[in-house]
Amino acid sequence: MRHALRVIGAEAFKQHRRMFGGPLVVFSMLIWPALQLAITYYTMLPLLETPGIGERWPVAAQPVRLLAFLATGAFAYMFYFSLVQSAWHFSFERISGTMELLFLSPASRFALVLANGTGALVQNTWLAGCFAVAAATASGSLHVAHPGMYAVAALALVIPALAWGTFLNSLLLFSRDSAFLYTLLDDPLWFVAGVRLPLFAMPVVIKAIGLAFPLTSSLAVLRGALLDAEPLSGVAGPLGLLGVLCLLLVAGTATLLRIGEARAQRTGSMQLY
Amino acid sequence: MMRAIATDDLRKTYPVVERPWWKPGKPLRAAPAVDGLSLRIPAGQVTGLLGLNGAGKTTTIRMLATLLRPTSGRATVDDLDLVKDAREVRRRINMIAGGERMVYTRLTGRENLWYFGQLYDVPKAQLKARIAELLALVGLEHAADQRVERYSKGMRQRLSIARGLINRPAYLLLDEPTLGLDAPIARDLRAVVADLARDGVGVLLTSHYLAEVEQLCADIYVIAAGRLVAQGTPAELTTMAERQHTVEVSLAAAVDDVDHAVETLAMRTGAQITTGVDDDLRPRYTLRHSADLAGELATTIVTAGGAIARLEVTPPTLEDAIIALADAARQPSAVAS
Repeated sequence: MRHALRVIGAEAFKQHRRMFGGPLVVFSMLIWPALQLAITYYTMLPLLETPGIGERWPVAAQPVRLLAFLATGAFAYMFYFSLVQSAWHFSFERISGTMELLFLSPASRFALVLANGTGALVQNTWLAGCFAVAAATASGSLHVAHPGMYAVAALALVIPALAWGTFLNSLLLFSRDSAFLYTLLDDPLWFVAGVRLPLFAMPVVIKAIGLAFPLTSSLAVLRGALLDAEPLSGVAGPLGLLGVLCLLLVAGTATLLRIGEARAQRTGSMQLY
Repeated sequence: MMRAIATDDLRKTYPVVERPWWKPGKPLRAAPAVDGLSLRIPAGQVTGLLGLNGAGKTTTIRMLATLLRPTSGRATVDDLDLVKDAREVRRRINMIAGGERMVYTRLTGRENLWYFGQLYDVPKAQLKARIAELLALVGLEHAADQRVERYSKGMRQRLSIARGLINRPAYLLLDEPTLGLDAPIARDLRAVVADLARDGVGVLLTSHYLAEVEQLCADIYVIAAGRLVAQGTPAELTTMAERQHTVEVSLAAAVDDVDHAVETLAMRTGAQITTGVDDDLRPRYTLRHSADLAGELATTIVTAGGAIARLEVTPPTLEDAIIALADAARQPSAVAS
């Protein structure tokens, strides 16, 4: 465990030095989600004038609530998508020839992929996280049933995101073709997870697909706990689903790492790109 | 406990699939890269592994580094099984390959070593001192806090050497470590490797620079097509291949009796003879034979009334030997089992 913690620390440091070289990167960490939010808000604004929309979707009747709905979506999406990027970057270790050095070391493979996700998450989200908390507090858009629900919301976002990132990292570690991740997990992720639109507006098939992504349930907990003052029992359903998804993702990661390393040892593909 | 890396009948066959993954079936063709190799790499010595391109050197090293799993056979590191005890084996070994790819360019030299120190779980109390020691060893103290992207090729390779030593490996696997390096830097690296062996580290070295191998290795394994074709000291291997000495003589002036005498000598000894003129248009005789015929040739020429303007003897080299052994191994009947 102690060694695993050292690996996590070292990996996070390495990732920070490799990818956050200048102040412009830090600037982009804030400007990118803010732009996403602005684009979504102003795209939806004309729809708010549709007669009767408030009855079908009460959030749409109040611009501040709508903004809070979209902001939570953008914030949570950033958590998850930063891990897609992290996995994509991790696959570049194969090109740079350093991947086999990781596997040459006695470091736990699980710790390595977890570390990569943790590092990416902390570094990509801290600034936007601070900004989101400040903005939500200032705008008075938070409605919480109990202070403990802040912790519930935070855990429902962070832990599944880490499980998701760990899984993606293990998936890409042994794949040479990482571009498919962007195709599969950029626009489709926000579409099926209800990032910009309420899930009830989606067809049943999309809703079903969305449930397979932890982002969907994370958002349900986040919005329920922070915007709709839901108590713990009110978000128990998505929390339970998140628990199941996390277990599946962790089990999937362990399996993929074992199969992937064995395959690489058999085929010699680790040094190939 | 045996302090060595030992392999016994080690084999590696890569599965080669030549059809799309969606078409089911077993691999169509299997390419044996290592075929029944038995080696012993003792601690405190540099052992060479030589062979032409595609002989199986890198595959062997990567198996010993646990990056590849043997198809069959057994390999141990200090009696630890390479497959079953892979994690413990990884603590005792390290690998350095040629080229400068094996470090992170956006980290400084010191940060690279710190990072790998964490992966190898080097005790925190020792890590800082170990990094300083290694930076001094490879002569990078002055550039320790520069990003590696600003390093020259030689500096990167030296950092790579330091990285390979961060865990104080009992065994070091060197795959073409001086590839593409300038002569002075390569010389410094050879000195580092020799010191490591003196300090008790077991080193396995592959290199295309045979002078390097001759200088460093106490024992050499020659492989071809994944199979062992010879083993011995550099001197033993040189003689083992029965390559020919070449004696080249230029005369001050042409003398008819010398022609006849040299031809008679060649016929009597079975030497291969070539006659011609050198760059200064003087008569030249070249004799090739497994024995050194320089003395006999000189005596013959002088006795026949000739005057020697130049005499040069080229003894067989390790390079000749490796090529000869590899060539012999290509003939199916000549391959050692």
